[in-house]
Amino acid sequence: MSSIPLTHILFVSTALFFIGVYGLFTRRNLITMLMAIELMLNSVNINFVAFNKYLYPHTLNGVFFSLFIITVAAAEAAVAIAIIINLYRNHRSIDVEDAQEMKY
Amino acid sequence: MTNLQLLALLPFMVLATAAVVVILLIAFKQSHTVIQVTGFFMMCAVVLAMWFVRDTLPREVPPLLVVDGLAALFTGLIIFSVLVVGLLSYIYFEEREENPKEYYILLFLATLGAAVLTISRHFISFFIGLELLSVSLYALIAYLRNRNNAIEAGVKYLMLAALTSAFLLFGMALIYMETGSMEFTAIGNAITKSGTSVLFLMGIGLIVVAIGFKLALVPFHLWAADVYQGAPAPVTAFIATVSKIGVFAVFVRFAQAIHLHENALAVTVLTVIAIACMIAGNVLALMQQNIKRLLAYSSIAHFGYLLVAFLSGDAGVGAGVFYLLAYSITLLSAFGIITLLSTRRKDADELSGYRGLFWRNPLMAAIFTVALLSLAGIPLTAGFPAKFFILTVGVQQHMWLLAVVLVLTSVIGLYYYLRIISTLFASPPLSPAKEKSLHPLFYAATYTSLVVLMFLLAWLGIFPGFIIDNVQEFLVIR
Amino acid sequence: MDISQVLFYALSAMALGSAIMVVISRNPVHSVLWLIITFFAISGHYILMNAQFLGIVNLIVYAGAIMVLFLFVIMLMNLNAETEPQKNKWLKLAGVVAGGCLLLVLVAALKQAEVKGKVAMLETGDIGLIRNLGKALFTDFVVPFEISSILFLSAMVGAVVIGKK
Repeated sequence: MSSIPLTHILFVSTALFFIGVYGLFTRRNLITMLMAIELMLNSVNINFVAFNKYLYPHTLNGVFFSLFIITVAAAEAAVAIAIIINLYRNHRSIDVEDAQEMKY
Repeated sequence: MTNLQLLALLPFMVLATAAVVVILLIAFKQSHTVIQVTGFFMMCAVVLAMWFVRDTLPREVPPLLVVDGLAALFTGLIIFSVLVVGLLSYIYFEEREENPKEYYILLFLATLGAAVLTISRHFISFFIGLELLSVSLYALIAYLRNRNNAIEAGVKYLMLAALTSAFLLFGMALIYMETGSMEFTAIGNAITKSGTSVLFLMGIGLIVVAIGFKLALVPFHLWAADVYQGAPAPVTAFIATVSKIGVFAVFVRFAQAIHLHENALAVTVLTVIAIACMIAGNVLALMQQNIKRLLAYSSIAHFGYLLVAFLSGDAGVGAGVFYLLAYSITLLSAFGIITLLSTRRKDADELSGYRGLFWRNPLMAAIFTVALLSLAGIPLTAGFPAKFFILTVGVQQHMWLLAVVLVLTSVIGLYYYLRIISTLFASPPLSPAKEKSLHPLFYAATYTSLVVLMFLLAWLGIFPGFIIDNVQEFLVIR
Repeated sequence: MDISQVLFYALSAMALGSAIMVVISRNPVHSVLWLIITFFAISGHYILMNAQFLGIVNLIVYAGAIMVLFLFVIMLMNLNAETEPQKNKWLKLAGVVAGGCLLLVLVAALKQAEVKGKVAMLETGDIGLIRNLGKALFTDFVVPFEISSILFLSAMVGAVVIGKK
């Protein structure tokens, strides 16, 4: 494993992050947008674990941060799904463009 | 963890206990009134707990937390705001919602999130506190789920908050990579030793994006007007005060630890953001007919003013805290009036609904007028000394551009605040709205607290010295 | 090329390929399935980097719980490729350009950090084991651990309140 340069791992995680950003900007379905956000959080997790392992192997900070990110993402997804289901009940659709009633 | 460290965390544990007590009360089918009163006393208990532990400060709880004077000040501000928000919530939710009780659990947990932000000095506690605040806020914003606007506001806040927390984490990862640490002071030491790199600055930039989103700074302010409008009025007051105070507290601590004020690029970027906030906030508010949206834009402008204090470095912290105090009292009384005037169907957010309020209800109009004058920064109200202190520190630090923009935009601000005040005193419409008299006790309590807030505003405006001395006294505990 | 290198590049290709499929497939159910494959690949990365516990947690929490939740919701709402709203071509192009520019900037900045990449070394393979994690979690990190339990309380109350009729 030590033979793999850190930059390659970083490239993978950065690319995942921006695939997530792209998905968030181009999809209109709220559930898929949420999936894009999960993708971004996962890429950050790879970053933390890789930095922890490669640069600062005597500490556990990065691994712990990833652990907390996973827990928080789970909590966030639960509330997000509840809100999206409510939007669906009101609008019969989960297209973000349908949630644009407030205007100046 | 030693006993003394546990003792220093006592106020936060009491705050968490408050949420659990509310859950138990709901389980035993207590009424809304019981829960409201218990919640009020629990918040008082938090204040007492802070008073009790004040001699043991400052105390570090390594590696994540530190309870010092700055934390005590900001936590005090947060608890004070929540006391008022909680009081406003009773009359608001009692007649709108068949189950208003769970609201208090979420309210106290969101408060705990903001309080954790004030004491955090490590990325992990920063992130978890921020998420505790946001996750509770998602539910609070969408709480009146049968109103379309509430759900819409919830969805908008949810998506943007989740996106910015991903950015925040990416920024934290970059800083961790460059410095090998997640603790604020250790990061500061690492960069004074090795200097800043491109990646480090990029990390700071991403963190500023996330903080800018939470504080609704331009250009990350797009959610503010919609969420302010869609959320229930007490929750809007909560977002405008508690959540922003918490995030601002952690931003101050982070900036102090990493010496952000010595980095020319960061200072330039923040200066541009401050100017953009002051101009955009005031200009967008000019033509606004919806009071809640207007207050959203005005709070964008106010955080622009606050950034001037922030940019002044350590000297500005006292002025910033005073400004936040004046701003919270003002906004809470303004939202108190909005809550009192709201009807079952709809929040009182149209400006036309306020026409001739003075002739219908002089007391309400007086409170609202004082609040608006304070927002505009008229002498004899709290807004004036607050703005004056910020201007003073700005001039002392030779930030002439910011000082000039601050004065000019305040003049623009006068226009729309006075426009609302003139509406209040205009001749009333033909059909006066009917008075609600459902819960006389709570109406009396709400009126009393709003009158107290009004006198506080006047007192702060005339004798600011006492508070500012106390603030300085707290700030040296570190 | 030794075995771990082969594994790393295979997993990376799998992660990136399926991540792209997540954002471009029209049917939300397919998106979820591709996302699960991405999570498997990422868990593989964790295990390669000696974070075994994290790899397993990632699978259990993400692929096991969150994705099943997503699938149920998608089935509940009866979403499929026909109901999927489409953005117009220009917005897609704008998305590609915006994402691509940001990616380029970050990759260029990461290139500068190459110096640090060379110090990568690790002798002990037990850094991510539950024993070590647990010790630190219940000593140094006990406060954030408790706060995250409170976070779950908040999420639970929030989801129940918002979700019920």
